[in-house]
Amino acid sequence: MKNSITEGLKERIEKSSSYSSVGIVLPSNNYNDLTNAIFEYIQEKKSNPWIYVTITKPFHILKNQYKDIIDNNSIYFIDCVSQAAGIKSQDPCCFFLDSPSQLEKLILEIVSIVKEKRDLGEPYVVLDSLSSLILYNDDLLVTEFFTHLINNLVLEHAHSISLCLEEEMNNAMNKMLYLKNDKIIKVKESFI
Amino acid sequence: MDTHECEMVKVSGGNNSNFSQDKNICKTGINVLDEKLGGGIPIGNSVLIVGSSGSGKTTLCMEFLTNGALNNERGVFFTITEPLFKLTKNMEKFKFYNKKLIENGTVNIIDLRIISDRLGLDAEKYSVEDASALLDVLKDIADELQVKRLVIDSITALCYRLKSDEMIRDFIFKLGSSLAAMGCTTILTSEIQPVRHGEIKYSKYGIEEFIADGIIFLSDVERKGDLIRTMQLVKMRGTNHSRSKVAMNISTDRGIEITPLLKSSR
Repeated sequence: MKNSITEGLKERIEKSSSYSSVGIVLPSNNYNDLTNAIFEYIQEKKSNPWIYVTITKPFHILKNQYKDIIDNNSIYFIDCVSQAAGIKSQDPCCFFLDSPSQLEKLILEIVSIVKEKRDLGEPYVVLDSLSSLILYNDDLLVTEFFTHLINNLVLEHAHSISLCLEEEMNNAMNKMLYLKNDKIIKVKESFI
Repeated sequence: MDTHECEMVKVSGGNNSNFSQDKNICKTGINVLDEKLGGGIPIGNSVLIVGSSGSGKTTLCMEFLTNGALNNERGVFFTITEPLFKLTKNMEKFKFYNKKLIENGTVNIIDLRIISDRLGLDAEKYSVEDASALLDVLKDIADELQVKRLVIDSITALCYRLKSDEMIRDFIFKLGSSLAAMGCTTILTSEIQPVRHGEIKYSKYGIEEFIADGIIFLSDVERKGDLIRTMQLVKMRGTNHSRSKVAMNISTDRGIEITPLLKSSR
């Protein structure tokens, strides 16, 4: 799982961890490197509660991939794709959203878990990935969703790390990402 | 690998959710709803909760009563749409449901059909006298229990048993006067067909909304084949309430939840 790209990305995330909201734009080729880096970082920062919102891969795939980390850390998942894909799953550490179009319900779930976990430390919310929501929703709606979510997370003193795949981004999303996040990490393929 | 970083300055908004405690206000106990209501429902008001089947009317009413009971406000729930055992069985799934409150009489659930039977009324169709007798019993129970919160679920099913439109109008006006005299905060539920082609009707008989001091309209919006529950405060006399349509969620863990409805679309 560990390689120089993963290590480099993890270092970048670590350096940005004090920011309230961090956006990471990356080419899809490096998606696995980034998720590896995030889970490595979660492993290191295990004293904080983590909420991992998966819109790209079903929860059971992540669980198989990062079993040791998930089993030994305080991570709660929100899976937005399994139910919509007809994959029946149940897990005590995962909430399965009916559909990635239920954006209001997604905000309510995230904020509610943040409130529930914040006594354990400053919660971190990972959105994997924000750009994938465009596959299921109007891009303006995703922009509005992200605005509401970030405002709520700031109020709750929670951190957010939002992944965006370059190939799925458009101008409106790009603007929104820069406007709403405190820090942007942009991974350039040409340098990898 | 190289990364390019851009640092931004964050401008965050404030929280204006402070509402003063008012002894003339009956808080629903559902935080965001109370904020949208401008603090809560004015004590003594009758509120019509309108929605189609499955819109969350009964859950909202039961949470209203439970939250009141936790604040030592006794409540009564008159059910006519579903039998008592079915109602309690459905409610047991919710974390807010507290059996002890029922056992100690802070929340009372009464099946109006059983009362109707005991009064020897025709279960299918009520005469003017039957309706009047039922109304008297309902009033007596509320008085005897000294309830602060009262729910009738539903006024539509109650009126369905009346023989003519004239009787229904007469009954609803009598009910309105009785409720106003009782002084407790009342919720009446009204069943309607799902909204089609934007045509909104707040009640089956077109008159229920006129006896109500407030109307809470529960509906859905469709998004990419998903139904998103919505709530809108259409009217609430005596409050500075919001009229924005909000998204509503029913969670077995957290009960009724409200959040702004996302409205952007191309």
